[in-house]
Amino acid sequence: MPSSRCAVAACAALLAAGAAAAPAPAPDPFPGTVGVQGGRLLVSLDLASAFPPSLRKQLENGLTHVVAVHLSVVPERGQDPLAMYGREIEVLYDVWREEFRATVRDSLLPAGRRLTFPDFGALLAFLSALTGVDLCPSAALAAERWVVVARVEVDPVSEIVDRTRELIAGGGSPGLLSSVASALLHAPVRGPGARTFRSAPFAARDGAVR
Amino acid sequence: MRPSRLEIQIALALALAAAVPLLAALWLASRLAEENLAFGLNPRVIASLEANPGLYRELFNARKELYGEQVRQLALGLPSELAQVEPYLREALERTPRLRGCTFSGADGAVLAEAETDQPNPEGEWRAAPARATLIPSGAALVCTFAIEARFFADLDEVRELAESYQGAGLLRADIQRSYVGAFAVLLMGFAVAAAGTGFWLARRTTRRLGAVIRGVRELASGDLSVQVDPGGARDEVAGLARAFNAMVREVRESRDRIVYLEKISGWQEVARRLAHEIKNPLTPIQLAFQQLEARFRQAGPGDPELPRLLSETGEIVREEIATLQRLVEEFSSFAKLPEVRLEPAELGEFVEEFLRTSPQVAETADVELAKATAPCPVRIDRALLRRALANLARNAEEAARPARARLHLAVAREGGRAVLAVADEGPGVPAELRERIFDPYFTTRVHGTGLGLAIVKKIVLQHGGEIDLSERPGGGARFAIRLPLSERAAGAGG
Repeated sequence: MPSSRCAVAACAALLAAGAAAAPAPAPDPFPGTVGVQGGRLLVSLDLASAFPPSLRKQLENGLTHVVAVHLSVVPERGQDPLAMYGREIEVLYDVWREEFRATVRDSLLPAGRRLTFPDFGALLAFLSALTGVDLCPSAALAAERWVVVARVEVDPVSEIVDRTRELIAGGGSPGLLSSVASALLHAPVRGPGARTFRSAPFAARDGAVR
Repeated sequence: MRPSRLEIQIALALALAAAVPLLAALWLASRLAEENLAFGLNPRVIASLEANPGLYRELFNARKELYGEQVRQLALGLPSELAQVEPYLREALERTPRLRGCTFSGADGAVLAEAETDQPNPEGEWRAAPARATLIPSGAALVCTFAIEARFFADLDEVRELAESYQGAGLLRADIQRSYVGAFAVLLMGFAVAAAGTGFWLARRTTRRLGAVIRGVRELASGDLSVQVDPGGARDEVAGLARAFNAMVREVRESRDRIVYLEKISGWQEVARRLAHEIKNPLTPIQLAFQQLEARFRQAGPGDPELPRLLSETGEIVREEIATLQRLVEEFSSFAKLPEVRLEPAELGEFVEEFLRTSPQVAETADVELAKATAPCPVRIDRALLRRALANLARNAEEAARPARARLHLAVAREGGRAVLAVADEGPGVPAELRERIFDPYFTTRVHGTGLGLAIVKKIVLQHGGEIDLSERPGGGARFAIRLPLSERAAGAGG
């Protein structure tokens, strides 16, 4: 699944573009904490509620899936993000070994870190826990009020678009029509299954908020 | 180089002509993409592809169960004596399909017996599939390694990639259709632009040659009869037009040369005739007077009392006719020596006043009336030559009025951005049929005229960049109108 190797930064840009372009549904309650510690803005999330009940069946079908989590710090009144973070987890259930193999990429590990989970429970625990994500120095928050927006998406559309572009282009020797069609392929940035969470507004002086 | 109208029209025509079939092709492409995607991204096909890894999972589970059962059966048949275990395992390797090795170990994990086959796997490349059976209550274990076909894993990877690709494509089916239609539109637009470009190029090839013909026509109109247009190597209508133009120019040039030659000959004939006539006129009285004198002398002899009178009359005739011949020679010489003009600024009304003031012979022979324009008429003239032209016109009026005293009407005015000097008389005028020839050299309506006076006038006027015409004066007589260009400053001032 070569298309899943896209840079985390590009995903973050997609997040920003999606937040700006598509009318987002009403965000869910923020499943975590936002706080300042050691001069840094840290976010911890429990995303278990963000995943659909069918996730296990979906992930165990033997196909590669991507679970993307994007965080951004935006002004309360909604403008360009101050800071962004993206994590993508590529999950493949090995039908021979009967275990989950995952490759985790984020801004700290753009090349990815490979993990193995013996069962779905262990995998779900890993997917759900996002602890102490360092978004930005708290000094950057200044006196404004901010919110943290988290978007969780299984098999994001951007991944599918990239994969489909490769399919259309036909690999090594694409035709002219296919090449142009591949370049022109666009789809909504926000997939139908994406979940968005929005924290309560906070300022740097507030400390931890839920 | 800016495109010409014709080039743009041809390019637009080609683009428009291409647009209709291209739009139809675009609609067909949309339908084709929709049908192809419906066929290629059939949800049932995609669902089948998605189910493939599950099938492999079941296959692997079946193999695992089979291998587990086989190792259990082997464990149950293990000999009680340790020395018999290894032969038992070797025999098991031979009779058990896909079994590649067996290890029998004690409860402490120490290997008690083992065997493996070095025969190639009949099903090709393989991956190891271990299966284990533990003996109860001893705790000993039999671990067997079975072969599972490696192609299963390769096939699984391939079918998984295929399923992932088609699964995504199925989700984006409408977007894919739009992208294909868009790509088709982009390419069709490219072809249309290429068609327009080709049309423009072809049109330019033609219009460039047409432009050369047009330039040739303009040069021809400006009097250049040496102009020729390169027809190029093409054999089309434009090349034919260029060749026809060249042929026409050649014919015009040859015709002009013939006409010029014939006019020259005709002119010389006219000069010869006029000269013969002008010389013959004075010679005839001389000849007659001399013949009369000679006859009287022969008849009466030197003592004839009439002879001195006759001799005196003959001498008078000869002197008079010689004077006529001298005047004729002077006029011809004057016409031949007409100098080039040297223009200088002047006000036309003032110039005419000066002419009348310094030409008393005009006032002696004619009653002169001058009407000056209120606005000044600045011109650039050669005073000496224009005086000569005026004098010729005045003499012409005087001779036309004979034997009566001439009445001369001079007028200076501005008409249509030009200065007009009109010289009119109250003589008999010039018949309309002769007016065209009145300025021709050696053409005259008078017995003693040389036909050079008005020719000199016209030449002087033309040398000033002006025009002269003859018309009938209202109330009778001839009216010559000399039109001269106003000097630039006056013309620019809207005079």
